[in-house]
Amino acid sequence: MFYKHSRRTATAFAATAAAVLALTGCAGSGPAASEGGSSFDPDTDVTVNFTWWGNDDRASKYTEAIALFEKEYPNVTVNGTFTDYPSYWEKRTTEAAGGGLPDVMQFDYSQMDSFGSRGLLYNLTPEYGENIDVDAIPESALGVGDIDGKSYGLISSTNAWSMFQDKTLIASIGAEPYEGGTSWDDYYDWIADVTAKGNGVYGGADPTQRIQNFELSLRQDGGNLYTDDGELGFDEKDLTAFWESAADIREGDIVPQQRLEELNPVSGFGANIAASELTWDNFGAGYLADSGKSVDDLILTTPPTSDADAKDLYLKPSMLLAMSSKTKVGAAGAKLIDFLTNSPEVGKIFGASRGIPASETQRDGAELSGQDANVLAYEESITDRLGDAPPLPPEGAASIEQKFWDLGKSIDLGAISIDDAVKQFFDEAEITLNN
Amino acid sequence: MTTTQRQVSTKTAPLGSAPAGSRSPAPRAGGRPKLSEKKRDGIAGYLFLTPWLIGFFVLTLGPMLISLYLAFTKYNLFTDPEWIGLDNFTRMFNDPQFQQSVQITLTYVLVGTPIKLAAALGVAMLLNYRSKGSGFFRSAFYAPSLIGASVSVAIVWRAMFNNDGPVDTGLSFVGIDVGGWVGNPALVMPMMILLAVWQFGAPMVIFLAGLKQIPGELYEAADVDGAGPWRKFRSVTLPMLSPVIFFNLLLEMIGAFQIFASAFIISSGTGGPAGSTNFYTVYLYQRAFGDLQMGYASAMAWLLLVVVGIAAFVLFRTSKFWVHYGGDLK
Amino acid sequence: MTTLDTELAPVLPVGQKQRVPKWKKRSTWVTVVWAIALTAIVVVVLYPLLWMVLASFKPSSDINGNVSLLPENPTIQNYVKVLQGIGGIPVYTFFINSLVLAVGSVIGVVISSSMAAYAFARVRFAGSKIFFGLMIATLLLPFHVLIIPQYIIFQRLGLIDTFIPLLVVKFLATEAFFVFLMVQFIRNLPMELDEAARIDGAGHPRVFFSITLPLIKPALVTSSIFAFIWSWNDFLGPLLYLNSTDKYTLPLALRLYNDQSSVSDYGATIAISVLALIPIALFFFIFQRFLVEGVATQGLKG
Repeated sequence: MFYKHSRRTATAFAATAAAVLALTGCAGSGPAASEGGSSFDPDTDVTVNFTWWGNDDRASKYTEAIALFEKEYPNVTVNGTFTDYPSYWEKRTTEAAGGGLPDVMQFDYSQMDSFGSRGLLYNLTPEYGENIDVDAIPESALGVGDIDGKSYGLISSTNAWSMFQDKTLIASIGAEPYEGGTSWDDYYDWIADVTAKGNGVYGGADPTQRIQNFELSLRQDGGNLYTDDGELGFDEKDLTAFWESAADIREGDIVPQQRLEELNPVSGFGANIAASELTWDNFGAGYLADSGKSVDDLILTTPPTSDADAKDLYLKPSMLLAMSSKTKVGAAGAKLIDFLTNSPEVGKIFGASRGIPASETQRDGAELSGQDANVLAYEESITDRLGDAPPLPPEGAASIEQKFWDLGKSIDLGAISIDDAVKQFFDEAEITLNN
Repeated sequence: MTTTQRQVSTKTAPLGSAPAGSRSPAPRAGGRPKLSEKKRDGIAGYLFLTPWLIGFFVLTLGPMLISLYLAFTKYNLFTDPEWIGLDNFTRMFNDPQFQQSVQITLTYVLVGTPIKLAAALGVAMLLNYRSKGSGFFRSAFYAPSLIGASVSVAIVWRAMFNNDGPVDTGLSFVGIDVGGWVGNPALVMPMMILLAVWQFGAPMVIFLAGLKQIPGELYEAADVDGAGPWRKFRSVTLPMLSPVIFFNLLLEMIGAFQIFASAFIISSGTGGPAGSTNFYTVYLYQRAFGDLQMGYASAMAWLLLVVVGIAAFVLFRTSKFWVHYGGDLK
Repeated sequence: MTTLDTELAPVLPVGQKQRVPKWKKRSTWVTVVWAIALTAIVVVVLYPLLWMVLASFKPSSDINGNVSLLPENPTIQNYVKVLQGIGGIPVYTFFINSLVLAVGSVIGVVISSSMAAYAFARVRFAGSKIFFGLMIATLLLPFHVLIIPQYIIFQRLGLIDTFIPLLVVKFLATEAFFVFLMVQFIRNLPMELDEAARIDGAGHPRVFFSITLPLIKPALVTSSIFAFIWSWNDFLGPLLYLNSTDKYTLPLALRLYNDQSSVSDYGATIAISVLALIPIALFFFIFQRFLVEGVATQGLKG
């Protein structure tokens, strides 16, 4: 086809490929070194780009908080944007690769390593005590966003793993709530019992779908999900045993996965067909909105454990705030972070919907009531079971968590055998952790 | 006569003062108008083609070559691509999710396309029977093709096939109780194929135009020979329509491979219940932009290109045996 | 335009009048069956659209659980909720974003495709046959091999989260469908007009603007409509390139609504799905002739 004009077209191809590759080769330069303790000038107008994940409810709360901030710092305009959680990290990673991360971002613990160790985040340590007041934050919590001694993210709030139950629903079918803290088998028996009495209501969903429950069971035996150097802290046998442990309740005691697929994004508990659910303790607001339950229906119970003395639970940073290392408005961004973390009015706006505020001033201002007070009470009640926080999750932890969940769902749909699922998980994890 | 006029007019005009608005280069004054016209055409041609040329080289050919290169690398956007040879391809053949996406996509293409075309042809023939009022029907059937691939329709389709949705409720009236199709890995594919078939309007319109072009004499002649409706269909309609069938088959097949929005929305982005909506494009998107495994995704892209290329090639080659071009071969 | 609507007159040899009555007698019975079959199919085909529009007026709790099309308690609550926007962004922002992109696409497509089509159809230049062949080949090209590198290119140029990547593509005639459509049209124009103009001293640009463009108006209209509709419905492009919520187009906003609503709250999601389709519906009703016939001619002259 090209015989006649082969030379001409060949050079054209070569030129194109070269040109385009050269374009891609002129990469954005490496991350700029960040100076510390930038000075804030209240007379210059600046714009700060701020992004978060969440639903509508959280969006309106942030809008309110931003308005308050802008009132206090009239020269700063905050440009707030948001997406849902699944697309959030896709956006951030591709932004990062292009050198265009927003100035301030709501951040997740599991992503700190990916971004921090690549120099994509602003070093906040010099700001502490300057533009960001950290007196009200406990020392241990302050260090969660640290990499190599520098802080790349400031903790906003904490949460802990818990079990939600709907005591009204349970009472209506003639059962008792699960007491919490007993063995997994006890919990499974309870689920079966509720389902039998339930008349369309189930005791719960399959807990082995969530990697957090796996983490708990590993910690109950003294282990952890990840080792200090970012490898998996368990092997195929552990995972197989864990997934097989729920074999009994899969036979009809748990909410059918098919129903859950249809109800997605609402969970079984949120749709009022499951009486209990293991999840983060700050998810109450979401449940109340989805399910039409009232605060009095909800109770927070401690998750099952195989060892009564285990210190398996821990306070996890539910979210942090971080800045892009390339930001040009470091001082203003730091002020925003300070405001969102410490301000009592912001506490009042959010309550515990992001988690329990880490800063005491915000916690006090939050005037936690209703469900939020229950969360605070829950966290106080589990202090005996709190252990050390695990090492910072390695890069890829978030997608490993999602993969774990997807495989669990497939198991429950009967679409894959446990052995195949285990193999797939380890293959995936290997690739992800080495990407 | 024209050339002398030209020569005269330009010889009297002062050199260098081109008339306002003239775009052709000076040599018009020379004595070889044919060459200059060819040159002029050459320049004009490339000038007009400039946008397309830029688009082709920078946005089509260039990217194709880049993704071919990336297919042999490991690339996550942050660090430079790392050459790993054929590793991506070997990984593909051991990747159960990849195999699943191939299986799902092939099912969709190989089952859905024929059904869609059969429906299109059937309805076209129905419409061809009587032309009065067919304008309304033609438009009505065409409407879904315009919006079928949109997010709106994907959302509505999902809602319709949900548990207790209209489809489920309707079926239970006839005694079939399958529950929702959306959460059921086995029923999701039929649901997607139904969505595809629902959009039969576009190929139908093409078939209809083709049918109208079949000369009536052929049918009359067949009648005289005592042919029944099936015989007429096989011996007159099908052969006369074969170029159109070929065209539709090719385009629909290519289109089916590229399904994205509907699959993505119905699957809520994660490949649906147990990966049953893990179409090739969805899986590629996940790998590329979700996991930042762009080398692997590029390998997948090129594999698809090769497969589609082979399929198109085979289709073209075998068309000799079943496509009859009537009079004009364009 | 009317050829497709003319009755297919049976070609009968002169003198054979007896055939007509027999045909007519059978035909009323058959016609009735035909009409019923056709109507049944239309009903099935249009049902989803009807359901969608009517469901948008049902309160969320009534949407599932009954087949009845008509809302028992019609309400505009869903639309009210939609109009409140999402996360502080009013719905009209998404409409405007989609509109800007769609109009931009139309302009880009019309300009670049007509130029390319003119070059292919009317100008003799070296390589035109090869380039034309390549252009046709791109009709068969799956986009998968393009999206990743295109993304990388735009990202290196710092154009992520702008409309530019989405528009540039249209201004560079990358969609062969339109070029092809216009080439066919131009090829059908008589050369005499061009030649007459050339004799009068017009260069290609003048011929293009004054003669060709006006004469291929139907092709331009058809292309504009398809370009608008395809841009309006485009999902993958905005998904890749638009990050800020306030830049979202309707399909992305729809997804936001969809991802956040449970089955029991489908009302608002369906309402905005309906709203998103209204412009297309309008285009369709006004311009269906162009659309349907544009599609039809593609298949025949190809």
